[in-house]
Amino acid sequence: MTALPPLGTPPAPLDPLSEQYEAGRERLGVEEGLDSIDLVELGDGTMELNMGPMHPSTHGVLRLVLNLDGEVVRECRPDIGYLHTGFEKDFERHTYTQCIPYTDRMDYLSPLFNNLGFSLAVERLLGIEVPLRGQYLRVIMCELCRLASHLLWYGTSALDLGATTAFVYAWRDREKILDINELVSGVRMHTSFIRVGGLLADVPDEFYAMVGEVIKTFPKLIDEHELLITKNPIWRQRTVGLGRLTPEDAMAYGATGPVLRGSGVPYDLRKAQPYSSYDHFDFDVPIGRAGDVYDRYLVRMQEMRESLKIITQAFNNLPDGPVNTTDRRVALPPRNELNTSMESLIHHFKLVTEGMRVPAGQVYQAVESPRGELGFYLVSDGTNRPYRCKVRAPSFSNLSALPHMVRGELIADVVAVIGSIDIVLGDVDR
Amino acid sequence: MAAVGTPMSGARAADLLERELPSAVRRRANEFGEETVWVDRASLVAVCTLLRDHEDASYTTPVFVTAVDWPDREPAEPRFDIVYMLRSLQYNDTCRLIVQVTEDDPNVPTLEDVFPGMDWHERECFDLLGINFTGHHDLKRILLPTDWDGHPLRKDYASFGEPIAFTHNLEWALPAQERPRDMPGASR
Amino acid sequence: MGLTDDAILTNAAARRLLFADADAGTIALPRTGAAERTAVQSGVVTTTIGKVIQWGRYSSLWPALFGLACCAIEMMATGAARYDMSRFGCEVFRASPRQSDLMIVAGRVSQKMAPVLRHIYDQMPEPKWVISMGACASSGGMFNNYAIVQGVDKVVPVDVYIPGCPPRPEGLLDAVMKLQKKIAGELPGSLLG
Repeated sequence: MTALPPLGTPPAPLDPLSEQYEAGRERLGVEEGLDSIDLVELGDGTMELNMGPMHPSTHGVLRLVLNLDGEVVRECRPDIGYLHTGFEKDFERHTYTQCIPYTDRMDYLSPLFNNLGFSLAVERLLGIEVPLRGQYLRVIMCELCRLASHLLWYGTSALDLGATTAFVYAWRDREKILDINELVSGVRMHTSFIRVGGLLADVPDEFYAMVGEVIKTFPKLIDEHELLITKNPIWRQRTVGLGRLTPEDAMAYGATGPVLRGSGVPYDLRKAQPYSSYDHFDFDVPIGRAGDVYDRYLVRMQEMRESLKIITQAFNNLPDGPVNTTDRRVALPPRNELNTSMESLIHHFKLVTEGMRVPAGQVYQAVESPRGELGFYLVSDGTNRPYRCKVRAPSFSNLSALPHMVRGELIADVVAVIGSIDIVLGDVDR
Repeated sequence: MAAVGTPMSGARAADLLERELPSAVRRRANEFGEETVWVDRASLVAVCTLLRDHEDASYTTPVFVTAVDWPDREPAEPRFDIVYMLRSLQYNDTCRLIVQVTEDDPNVPTLEDVFPGMDWHERECFDLLGINFTGHHDLKRILLPTDWDGHPLRKDYASFGEPIAFTHNLEWALPAQERPRDMPGASR
Repeated sequence: MGLTDDAILTNAAARRLLFADADAGTIALPRTGAAERTAVQSGVVTTTIGKVIQWGRYSSLWPALFGLACCAIEMMATGAARYDMSRFGCEVFRASPRQSDLMIVAGRVSQKMAPVLRHIYDQMPEPKWVISMGACASSGGMFNNYAIVQGVDKVVPVDVYIPGCPPRPEGLLDAVMKLQKKIAGELPGSLLG
């Protein structure tokens, strides 16, 4: 078996197909003799294989049509749309507050980011600012959501490559974050906690103990997860040097998030275009070197630690005060006013039944979700419903780079590469 | 409004276009801290190539392309606004370009050769809104089944899964032939 | 024709051999009658073939992987450490429909996916059951629009529906238990009532 290149070796230039085939055979230790097996010639000697849409390792209903030369992938054509839900059409039919639960279900592994992006876009059109306590709580809940999403990614992509223990460990820890979700909103996953103008409500008292617990125990747990597979020779053999994406290609395909940062481009929207008071916190942005699956894995593991840093800072400096804006275009009047003022009652009624009216205009607001840049291009025509809300999904662009990344790899490696992109089909298909 | 997020302006791109390709720029506007440039359809490829390659701009990342359907705009304007957003990682800037096309001629040149990432975005725009990107190597539906009829995100496409029957409108749940004739909206 | 009560009760020596601990009296079996309880004490159970088949079927329901959207995540959480689904017999999620007998449709079924769903259902061998998990699979959920099939029972016959968006893992476990009762009730003289 050929030895692995030492860490820090610059990646080899992409070889022509035949040499990579030889390298692949060498990597597996296949002897010369197997060449003598007769294969049925299909035209140019390739075979077309359908992978999905029902497949354990495609992370959802993704269909890949692979053009194979033996075990080597010559061409990969993704066929998406098996989870197309028509979100953007639904946005046009509902009021802004009714849209928030819809946003939860798009990128269903990190629902709070969808809420946040949509709410920030509407708040920019309205020109309102959320109080600092609301912003800090948004940051805490979002970074917890990022942790949960990365843990899920870690568990499932390790499971795809055979590390079953990692799956169970990761999901055990994810349950602790889902408990916090349930505490603040009543729902484990689709919390709809972040609303236009602030949050659903202020957090109950048990929140502090639970988040303190997370801050205390998670660093060690993440170290445990890393201990399982980071230096494991099987893991390294299956991921190092695989699915390489150069920085230029990553930018040209519109890839963002850990896929872009794994290729060495230090672009993170939380630093580049800070929103919701992310500029108050001190954290680093991990980047990779080689742009392969292993580097993307390391980037995400380190991002989990950076998230914990952010949560700690936000938690320790959490200010007092209201969590929701008092702007009457969005906020309901205080209940004691409803007894005395007729206008307040009417206003309350109209705000609940018709929803808020947003000034006409167009705005693009992007947030850094665990998958990359999640953007909301919101066009309003002055009524209480969005006129057009286009969701810029990170997984859509990241997945469009997949054919480029797996050309020349073995079919078993396709699974590893898909896992490293971390796609959510709800995001891809919307 | 620093707390909401540093708005992404596109002033860099707009200034460059007004300097280098003034004939391509139809209009320029700034709202909510973001610049939008209305661009001529014929010079779209030239504009994007300039924005990608010029050293003062280097907008190398395609963010998305989509279209907004305005069937009844006052005063009358072309029906579709094709919206492009490009990002420059080097200068940390995002610009927005809009090309307007009419209902009878929904054709726009493809940007697939300029940005490989536009490939899927253009297919999605064709799929959901019916915009034809001329020169695309394989413009077929991406999100809906290939034999689907119509373009759902257009405003004249009624999106309706199933009428929900309550006790006061049980007739709605009946198939169209069995509904009472004098029911409001019975012909739907 | 089995062992009579007298023969068993007097066989104290045999009992002591089989059960080493001194206070081996009755072994409490869930919901079995007195005759069956004493029969098992000596290591022999009399039953009908039907009951054994039922028991085998509902105790080892192997789900086919059919997670589509968010409900799939809760389905995976049900299979993970906290709400362990393998306690109920769903030990392995088979990737191949030909090796499974339960299809949990977890998530929204789009128009493009519906023929695939039917195809997978047809590939499963009899006996097979379907659980429709979540609001989207049961009725289209919050998506009353052009893209989503309004209820997966328009495509495949469903045995148990689970409400929720997404349903809690306990909800899925409850559905599996209800399905087990249903399977047990399919043949006469069921064990679970």
